[in-house]
Amino acid sequence: MTLLLKQIFAFFRMLNSETATNQLAWGFSLGMILGFSPILSLQAVIVFLLVFFFRVQLGATLLSAFFFKFVAYFLDPVSDQLGRVVLESEGLRPLFTQLYNMPFVPLTRFNNSIVMGSGLMGFLLSLPGFFVFRYLVLKYRATFVARFKQTKLWKLWVGTSFYKWYATYNSMFG
Amino acid sequence: MNTTSKSKSEKKAKGPIRTEAVVPVILIVALIWGYFHFFFDHHLRRGLEFVGYQVMGAEVNIEELRTSFWDASLRIKKIELTDAQQPQKNMLEVGDVRFAVLWDGLLRARFVVNEMAVDDIRIGTPRKAPGKVKPPEPKSDKPGFIEKESEKLKNEAVDQAKKNYDGNVLGDIASLLGGESGQVQLGKIEGTLASKQKLQELDKAYKEKGKVWDQKLKSLPQQKEIQALGDRLGKIKSKDFKSPQELGDSLKEFQSVMNEADQKVKVIQATSGEFNNDYQQIDKDLKGLDDLVKKDTRDLESRFHIPKLDAKEISQGLFRQYMGPYLAKIDYYQGLFHKYFPPPKAKKESPEPDPQFQPHPRAKGVTYEFGRQNSYPWVWVKKVSISSQTSSSPSSGSVQGTITDISSNQALVGRPTVATVKGDFSANGIRDFLGKMTLDLTQAVSLLRFEMSVGSYPVAGREVVQSPEVNLAFQKASGQMAASGELVGMKDLKMELKNKLQQVSYEIKAKNPTVQEIMRKVFLGIPEISMNASVMGTPPDLKLDISSNVGSELQKGFEEQIKKKIDEAKQKIQAYMNEQVGAQKAKLESEVNKYRAQVDAEIGKLRAQVEGEKSQAQSRANDSKKRAEEQGKQQIQQQGKKALDDLKKKLGF
Repeated sequence: MTLLLKQIFAFFRMLNSETATNQLAWGFSLGMILGFSPILSLQAVIVFLLVFFFRVQLGATLLSAFFFKFVAYFLDPVSDQLGRVVLESEGLRPLFTQLYNMPFVPLTRFNNSIVMGSGLMGFLLSLPGFFVFRYLVLKYRATFVARFKQTKLWKLWVGTSFYKWYATYNSMFG
Repeated sequence: MNTTSKSKSEKKAKGPIRTEAVVPVILIVALIWGYFHFFFDHHLRRGLEFVGYQVMGAEVNIEELRTSFWDASLRIKKIELTDAQQPQKNMLEVGDVRFAVLWDGLLRARFVVNEMAVDDIRIGTPRKAPGKVKPPEPKSDKPGFIEKESEKLKNEAVDQAKKNYDGNVLGDIASLLGGESGQVQLGKIEGTLASKQKLQELDKAYKEKGKVWDQKLKSLPQQKEIQALGDRLGKIKSKDFKSPQELGDSLKEFQSVMNEADQKVKVIQATSGEFNNDYQQIDKDLKGLDDLVKKDTRDLESRFHIPKLDAKEISQGLFRQYMGPYLAKIDYYQGLFHKYFPPPKAKKESPEPDPQFQPHPRAKGVTYEFGRQNSYPWVWVKKVSISSQTSSSPSSGSVQGTITDISSNQALVGRPTVATVKGDFSANGIRDFLGKMTLDLTQAVSLLRFEMSVGSYPVAGREVVQSPEVNLAFQKASGQMAASGELVGMKDLKMELKNKLQQVSYEIKAKNPTVQEIMRKVFLGIPEISMNASVMGTPPDLKLDISSNVGSELQKGFEEQIKKKIDEAKQKIQAYMNEQVGAQKAKLESEVNKYRAQVDAEIGKLRAQVEGEKSQAQSRANDSKKRAEEQGKQQIQQQGKKALDDLKKKLGF
């Protein structure tokens, strides 16, 4: 739980800083894939491993996965229809038969209509999603954060000794 | 100094790989390993016990369960399935079950087992503590349409079965011999005869119908109108036409009379057709009334427990109670199978299932199987070997058997599930047990075939008839049975059962000493009982047909004493029915026939008259035409002759 909270605090700190825009955008984007995939599936495990081993903002991934899980839940009927259309397509049948009988691939549960439908949506939206999230992070920093830093409240806060102590601590151990 | 401090304060730039994640990952892996090593087996055991309890409706216990990740194996020791009827005993106890799942299949998300071993099977073992039995599920306050309909059908079936088999034949015979049923109190049931009610309804309906018929007869062309038509016809000139104009007028008049007659004939024909329809309905009603009278007679016989002294009926009545628990079990297991293996969703346009493409409906979405011949289905247990050797335990038995090809997609595997089990439970007196079962789901309609035989089994204290008048039980006997049958589409059951009881000692108790004596004599002469049954239908509405040598023996035994009494009671009922319904029915029939004859005669007469006028008009019109033609010819001949004479005169001949 501590690890989780630490990641989420790091996310907010990073979001309000001037760095790691790509890390955040990738975090959101991979979180979207996680949100659209079932937890017990091969693709979810792979995404988790990617998030662990590559420098992707974990807090952003977790928050994004949490948010898109709800989106995916509400889109279930659409995903089901899309999945059925794809899985029942005669042209793709040989490919699916090949995949279904290969090792590991069936662990993705691609043969379920909802998993296929929502998985397709998640994967297809993840790449454009990266650019959209990147743009949104930059926009957020340029508008909201910049304006907030000009407020008296923020200046007052920055002037406190507690903040100075925190800033020193953060530069040394953060 | 500045450079050193700068380098210290500036953080080292981090690369894209998160090296510091190695420790947490190792920690997570270690936690997962720890869970599976220390807790998983326990949780799985508890989970299986819970699921077993929910499915079987009685406590299921597992003594030990071990799994191995590297071997992908599972071993379960001592599974105890509580007998829901006797919770202090186990219905079945299995000493050891072990199997390994193929890693090859697991990597493809399939569960493939080459061979599963099931050892040390025991039945009826005592439990350390009575097992928990699941209470019946509470019914919801507002049942859905399907529940309502199925409940209705079930109740109808139960009512029908009750009507057919309520009471028992020996009890009825004893009552009749004792003179109870002979005193048929027919007066009390007067108002409940369906045939009498129907008769009254028909009587009322026919009286109404008579009024309608009268109205219709009045609306038909009347005598005066037909007479007027005849008079009109008589006035039409049919000879000595002075000019063609006169002939044309007459013909027109004839045609007009014929048209009018035609219209009247049509009206009569249409009314006659309506009457014919009514006659057909009346015939149908009267036939229905006959059927109701027969049914009422049968109901009365059944109501006053008039036994049918027929070998078949006696066998049915005797062994229906005996077969009851077995039929209830068939119903229970069929329901259980339907609950957990719902019929596959077959496409309307293709009755044959496609082995390579099988959709399985799920709570969320649809999961498809993209199999190909000889590939693994989702679940496939290739072979289950069952073995058990007789041990010192009195409940143990010697059992050998195999179950092959248990799979989630038989069409893909191309083989049905076949189970064969044979053995002895010598301590329980069960010898030469053989069971064979084939479950074929490769076709559009599933087929379950089964055969079962037991060479010898003990029977002790089995009640056959239990009524206030008579008690009959098999105190001790040695049984032998063979059953075979099939269940098509998991609903249509056909089963044949042959049962033989040898060295039977009976327990007979009857209130009536005559009945006691007859039964004692009869059963003393039957050391061997054969009972053959056939069951057909859709559970719970099963049609049961039983025949037994006991039936014919009892028939012979009771015939002399009771036949006269039965005939008397039947005659009494018949006389009552005649009195209540017969006379009134005959009166109604005669009234209807009389009225019908009158109506037919009236219509026939009118029709003959109108058609007579029509044909007369037709013939007179034809005559007029002929006469006019001849008259015309003569006139032309005379005019020609005159013209010739004038010409001769002019020429001076």
